[in-house]
Amino acid sequence: MSEFNIRADAVDVEQIMRQIRARIRDKRGVDYTEEQIQELARVRLEKFLDPKGVRSDLLEQFRRNAATDRPPNYEFDDVTLFASDKPIIAFFRRLLLPILKLFFSPNQLITALHLQSRINQHLLEHDALFYEVVHNLVVEMTRTSIDVKNVQMRVESVSGRLDFNERRSRALEAVVQYRPDAAERSHSAPPAGPDSAPSGVDPITGGESLRSRRRRRRRGRRSGPGFGEGTDERRAPGSEFRPQNNEPRAQDHEPRPQSDQQAAQSDEAPAQSGELRAQSIEPPASDGTRTQSHEAAETPAAARSVEPPGDSGSNVS
Amino acid sequence: MKIAVVAQRYGADINGGAELHARYVAEHLARHAEVEVLTTCAQDYVTWANEFPAGVETIHGVTVRRFPVAHSRDARTFARHSATVFDRRHSVHDELRWLDSEGPTSPKLVKQVAGNIDAYDWFVFFSYRYYHAFHGARAAAAKAVLVPTAERDAAIGLSIFPPVFRGVRALMFNSFEERAMIQHVAARQDLRGVVVGIGSEVPERPEPDRFRQRFGVTGPFAIYVGRIDENKGCKELFTYFQRFTRQMPGKLQLVLIGKSVLPIPPDPRLRHLGFLSDEDKFDAMAAAELLVMPSYYESLSMVALEAWALGKPVLANAKCDVLLGQTLRSNAGLYYASYGEFAEALHAITTSAPLSAALGRNGSRYFQTHYAWPVIERKYLETFDRLEREPKADRPVMTPLPGFFASRARTLPAAADVLDSIPAGAVRR
Repeated sequence: MSEFNIRADAVDVEQIMRQIRARIRDKRGVDYTEEQIQELARVRLEKFLDPKGVRSDLLEQFRRNAATDRPPNYEFDDVTLFASDKPIIAFFRRLLLPILKLFFSPNQLITALHLQSRINQHLLEHDALFYEVVHNLVVEMTRTSIDVKNVQMRVESVSGRLDFNERRSRALEAVVQYRPDAAERSHSAPPAGPDSAPSGVDPITGGESLRSRRRRRRRGRRSGPGFGEGTDERRAPGSEFRPQNNEPRAQDHEPRPQSDQQAAQSDEAPAQSGELRAQSIEPPASDGTRTQSHEAAETPAAARSVEPPGDSGSNVS
Repeated sequence: MKIAVVAQRYGADINGGAELHARYVAEHLARHAEVEVLTTCAQDYVTWANEFPAGVETIHGVTVRRFPVAHSRDARTFARHSATVFDRRHSVHDELRWLDSEGPTSPKLVKQVAGNIDAYDWFVFFSYRYYHAFHGARAAAAKAVLVPTAERDAAIGLSIFPPVFRGVRALMFNSFEERAMIQHVAARQDLRGVVVGIGSEVPERPEPDRFRQRFGVTGPFAIYVGRIDENKGCKELFTYFQRFTRQMPGKLQLVLIGKSVLPIPPDPRLRHLGFLSDEDKFDAMAAAELLVMPSYYESLSMVALEAWALGKPVLANAKCDVLLGQTLRSNAGLYYASYGEFAEALHAITTSAPLSAALGRNGSRYFQTHYAWPVIERKYLETFDRLEREPKADRPVMTPLPGFFASRARTLPAAADVLDSIPAGAVRR
């Protein structure tokens, strides 16, 4: 008969489980079992309750109380005092009761003891309930504090990763801006005139050139209080001037290297830009004007001149 | 060779673990020998009331003789006797009264066994803890083969059973864990027996697409098959799975197949399909990514074996020794003892196709090597053959029950305490 001795060549379940447990330990710090949580609950109670002067062994006391044999509660009614196993004695006790009542009132005693037995019963039930509540509270508190610790660790880990990613993204941006083909393209472009600006990338800092900074300043000014919506009638048509093919605006492009190329290329054709500006300054009396603007915009230089025409006219000095 | 399979209840539509086990064994041994089933008229395992007519009938080609139960189980009496024997110092007499109150108490069935010992070559008794197996095995000890189907519950700590374990000719264990437990209880490491288990009728070509179309299930899913009950670990499974889905957004669902006696939380990723036919069940298992077995107590998980037969990995509850042992020996599944392990293991199986495939391959190989029906049948036949050739002097002797006064001495420890003293843990072989 065959024996149960299969071991797969490729998979070892125990090894996988060891890896899983190691991963859990890495994630959580410690892999707590239910028993360990109970153990921690006991320890933590002592640890945290001691300094505040509360009994540290509260849970243990409750546990001991629950475990120890308590004396049984008693039933006490009106005949308990005079009852007896022997009927004759019980008979004489009942017979002599009136004489006994001459010395003291047994009814008071009977009532008090009866009430006490009921109080005892109530306390016993309450005690068990209280123990349960305290026990559950301590266990849950321990569990929660472990969770809090884990969450704290996770937050630290995530913030560390975030910092790293931010640094990495900044470094990558800098590297992309240094891209040699972009630099070559900007150098090989024909000079448009004495005012033609260099490429938007500063070859020394790897960051933005003075020109692109100036463009940003302009945009900053535009978004200032004087250029709120509806403050300048000429803005309205200009704000609609966007290529139909959803080409993004300059703001969208600004951080990317293309924006600098575009800026450079738009500066390469100042005459066309000038024409565009001249057309754009005209108020858009009809759709035809806007169409003209669009047509102009679709020319390579104009298309790259992503600034709204009104803005160009008012800000370029 | 004529074999009597003696089971507490029997029927084509009875799906309890041990009863189904008995039916499968009877039907498969019928291919090699003349098999008769001796059973009771009971159908319900709680009341053991007589529901089938007494007499002879044929089920799937096997002759079945039914005998009436003397009295149904009285839940209150049974609970009282259980409390006595499980939790207090007690006597053999108390244990016998517990056995009688547990049911199905069928003296006529035992009388049939005792009166027809020569008519059969072997009696295969199922489930050690019931009246028919205890008294039947004692009556026909020389020809008794016991399939204990023992779980780790307090009944195993009762003192009336070890003499039966030692006195029968052979024990057919479901798992190595079960064998270790019974060896400890019987205080004998050399108990005659074989770890056999049970096969399953798994279709060769299940159709997962048919299941998906029929029940509108899309996307990947894990599957649970069985009674949806807190005792089966389902409550913990729901908690874990819902927590997993909150932490790991994705499309993984949990499909539940079986009768529910537990409220299922309303969750779009928990799909309860109720009780399904075998065809639908196997289609569903073939469509699933894995089978989840959350049960704490199993003597042998047939569903896990079926999943392995279909090449599916199993995620088992490590608190169940048998499931853990099977998973380790098969190398065909992962296990969990906490939520963290559950989440990681489930994630590993559902996201790593090579791991899932390797576990599935191992499972399939494990099933074919140890649980395919030809293997099971051969183990039974070899056992009968070996017992046949065993010298008379080597045969075990059944210890008689103590006398009137000795059986009433309250000297036996609580069965729950005995159970606590039994070593636990999976058997790694």
